[in-house]
Amino acid sequence: MSTREIFDGRLEAALLLLPTIIVSVVFLYYPTALAVRTSFFDSGFGRQDEFVGFENYTTLLTSSDYHSSILLSVLFAAIVVVGVISFSLYVTFLIHEVEYGQTAYLLSVIWPYALPPAVGALVFLFMLHPTLGVVTGPIEALGIDLNWFSNGSQAFVVVALAAIWKQIGYNVIFMIASMNTIPDALTETARLDGVSRFRRLVSVYVPIMTPTLFFLVIINTIYAFFSTFALVDLLTSGGPSGATNILIFDLYQEGFSFFNFGIASTKSVILFLVVGILMYVQFRVTDKYSYYGG
Amino acid sequence: MDGVIQYTKRRIDAVIGRTPEQTDQGSNAGIHLQLWVLVFLVVFPIAVALIVSTKQQGIVTSLGDLAPGTYALENYREAIVDYNFGRFMWNSLVMSTVVVAGKLVISVCAAMAIVYYRVPYKDLVFLFILFTLLLPVPVRFIPLYQLINDFGWGNSLLAITVPYLASATAVFILRQHFLSIPTSIVETAKLDGVGPIQFMVYVLIPMSKGVLVGVSIIMFVYAWNQYLWPLVIINSEANQVAQVGLQLLQGDVQGGQLSWSLVMAGSMLTLIPPLVLMIIFRKPLLETFTIQQK
Repeated sequence: MSTREIFDGRLEAALLLLPTIIVSVVFLYYPTALAVRTSFFDSGFGRQDEFVGFENYTTLLTSSDYHSSILLSVLFAAIVVVGVISFSLYVTFLIHEVEYGQTAYLLSVIWPYALPPAVGALVFLFMLHPTLGVVTGPIEALGIDLNWFSNGSQAFVVVALAAIWKQIGYNVIFMIASMNTIPDALTETARLDGVSRFRRLVSVYVPIMTPTLFFLVIINTIYAFFSTFALVDLLTSGGPSGATNILIFDLYQEGFSFFNFGIASTKSVILFLVVGILMYVQFRVTDKYSYYGG
Repeated sequence: MDGVIQYTKRRIDAVIGRTPEQTDQGSNAGIHLQLWVLVFLVVFPIAVALIVSTKQQGIVTSLGDLAPGTYALENYREAIVDYNFGRFMWNSLVMSTVVVAGKLVISVCAAMAIVYYRVPYKDLVFLFILFTLLLPVPVRFIPLYQLINDFGWGNSLLAITVPYLASATAVFILRQHFLSIPTSIVETAKLDGVGPIQFMVYVLIPMSKGVLVGVSIIMFVYAWNQYLWPLVIINSEANQVAQVGLQLLQGDVQGGQLSWSLVMAGSMLTLIPPLVLMIIFRKPLLETFTIQQK
């Protein structure tokens, strides 16, 4: 192990690390510290910053709008995580089961990894447009009045579907890698024991894949909280009447529509705590499950 | 009791090589059929977008309108030239290339120092870099916006590249990979009296080609698909990137003014670079992902 450490020039090592450290400090740590500081101030364009202590925090924690934004985000994340994991797991399993065409199937479901969220949003906007959409007709033929520019829950579903679609590729990439490490002997034994295909997925594969699945639950949760901004911005702009106003969009509006930097910074700090907790949970859980190998 | 007999029978069949009555063989056609349906769901939206981008007006209100049109060249030309999309694409390409090249260079340096130098506190430095995973753009874009404007970098290439250069993900993946290079090779290099720069150029980089390619693709897709930060910090059309440029192309399309076929042509153009890179380099990309999860 230590034999890898073949150099000992301290200055050299420092020079090699310096660029990464400087960028991290200036553009990552310092702005975060600024956000924490600003969260204790009343701050905005054209007015003097005024120290207000925890007032921003108490304002948010007692604001029913903010409460509903938190609830929406949690619900949104839950739907996206469950949706994307079940779809991806099933499709990965099917690909794992077929004997030919695996590469073609794999490529045709992992490509959304490269899909820009803005493109995904516009494609969904077009496809499901209440008056012009291609699949609007067929859906309405089922007796559903597609009206998501004004119907909040429909808007929520549309954004969630787009979010799930975009994240399938990433999930399948990790799931297929994990599923391919399952020993053939285990699959054979299950087959010989007459375990049905679906049972084999649920009772044999899923437990073995637990570390990967936990990793994906956390990654997908972070994705749903943060990387879905473009979807909300282009599909619904947080509306109708706040129905899709998840935390990241709410934060953006606070900062760049209302220019309340104080409150916006407080919202950033709260989001930071959310990521921190999620990462901590992931760290603890993968630590705990890594004993099983895989 | 019956179960036990069944089980034993199957076991005997297996041992003497007779094909056991398998519960799931023979339904392979069913598996393929299911895969076709799921693949269709994943591909359909983008196929619609592609078809619409070849039509005159892009009015596709029913499934029957989904025949490809003959206006492809005209639409793409109009988007690229008349609607400035060529400019947005170029800006995105410059941004992504600079981010990938910069991240790669400074991350290789940092990972090399962390793995191959015997210096104090390097584990602490590694943790310091790793901790930036907790600070994604959404938790710091408001103070970062103020900071970048204080630097006088607003609306410039510097603003959309430099803050991205430090990469915990890249340093982490490279470190894991360096740790898997056999120590014997490293020791040989040391016995030959190889200096740090020669070591990096003649040993480390040639031994890391696949990972370097994989990391580059991950970072390219990440940089190319950035939306929130360019939206906030770039305020002139001449400097805008494709992701946000799409929105400009969309313009007042919700009011039915602009042709959807142009928006979809722009969407296709925005999708092509990351998609093509991903397909060409899928092997190193998938291998690099398996390192990331460890």
